[in-house]
Amino acid sequence: MAADALTDYVSEEYLLEFEKNYNEEKANGGKVSDDTTFQYAWCLVRSRLNTDVRRGIGLLQGLLAASEKNRDTSSPRDYLYYLAVAHARLKDYEPALKSIRTLLRQEPGNRQAQELEKIIEKNRGSDAVKGAAIAGAGILVAGGLVGLGMALLKK
Amino acid sequence: MSGGPYNYSYIFKYIIIGDMGVGKSCLLHQFTEKKFMADCPHTIGVEFGTRIIEVCGQKIKLQIWDTAGQERFRAVTRSYYRGAAGALIIYDITRRSTYNHLSSWLTDARNLTNPNTVIFLIGNKSDLDSQRDVTYEEAKKFADENGLKFVEASAKTGENVEEAFLETAKKIYESIQDGSLDLNAAESGVQKKPSANGARSLTGDSSDARNSSSCSC
Repeated sequence: MAADALTDYVSEEYLLEFEKNYNEEKANGGKVSDDTTFQYAWCLVRSRLNTDVRRGIGLLQGLLAASEKNRDTSSPRDYLYYLAVAHARLKDYEPALKSIRTLLRQEPGNRQAQELEKIIEKNRGSDAVKGAAIAGAGILVAGGLVGLGMALLKK
Repeated sequence: MSGGPYNYSYIFKYIIIGDMGVGKSCLLHQFTEKKFMADCPHTIGVEFGTRIIEVCGQKIKLQIWDTAGQERFRAVTRSYYRGAAGALIIYDITRRSTYNHLSSWLTDARNLTNPNTVIFLIGNKSDLDSQRDVTYEEAKKFADENGLKFVEASAKTGENVEEAFLETAKKIYESIQDGSLDLNAAESGVQKKPSANGARSLTGDSSDARNSSSCSC
């Protein structure tokens, strides 16, 4: 069971359902409504497949750009929030933080957004530690090889 | 909370549903933080909350999914109902329209959860009695007719908030004990922690289940 916004996965059944809605609207008239697009994007960014998450990001960015053009003030928060979720899932922490902080500038007291920011920062931190550990292990292995080489040379 | 991640025996999944602005997130916040959020923005999509409680001597982790009430989210929040062991349906006692929509929320809850899901009706904002738009009696009758547990509560004062969440857990625990809730079913909304101390085997050990089914806490 999911514990936070970054570990909440969509079931394939629902992803397919909202994909179908999206494709049907597209086939019918070309222009898909914002709600249908958003619903599909919301499912995509909760997929286990990175290609789906990336596709979701593309849709959300399109919605965000259109809402800015139309001076829509109510929906950008939804798009920014899920853009942050999507980027964080791909471990792209900088764009994730940028999205959530844009939302926090508009709604400084939004606890839901504050919590997501905290989770993203925490994950970025632990990934950095893991990265350092892997790099450190690499150096040890390399050092060991050099040592071995020298020992062989001495021989 | 000290100890490892498994200092509880079960995880119960709850969902909180109901119209926009009835105070779903405020109820959750009051339950998890024991504080009232005065200025609560509309939830984006779904929020998560957890708290470990104790029912009949068992530590239970409640994992609560608080859904956005805005209509645009509703199609997708339906996908969160599945696998909920408890569903809290909230209305606002000062706004009749939120009460009138209950049957639609209840239909969703019934259709999208399993037959053992405990559904609890909460009339929020009981502190605003002077602005009341729905009587206690009317809502109680609706709850009884539909087999729901019911309280009026206040996320602001905390009245009955704890009770609603705990009563729901107690009912779920009882249906585990009497065997009506199959923990092996994928959508029971209950997870048992195998390494937890004090957790008894509930599947295939009927004598144990029978002995403890008289839990009266």
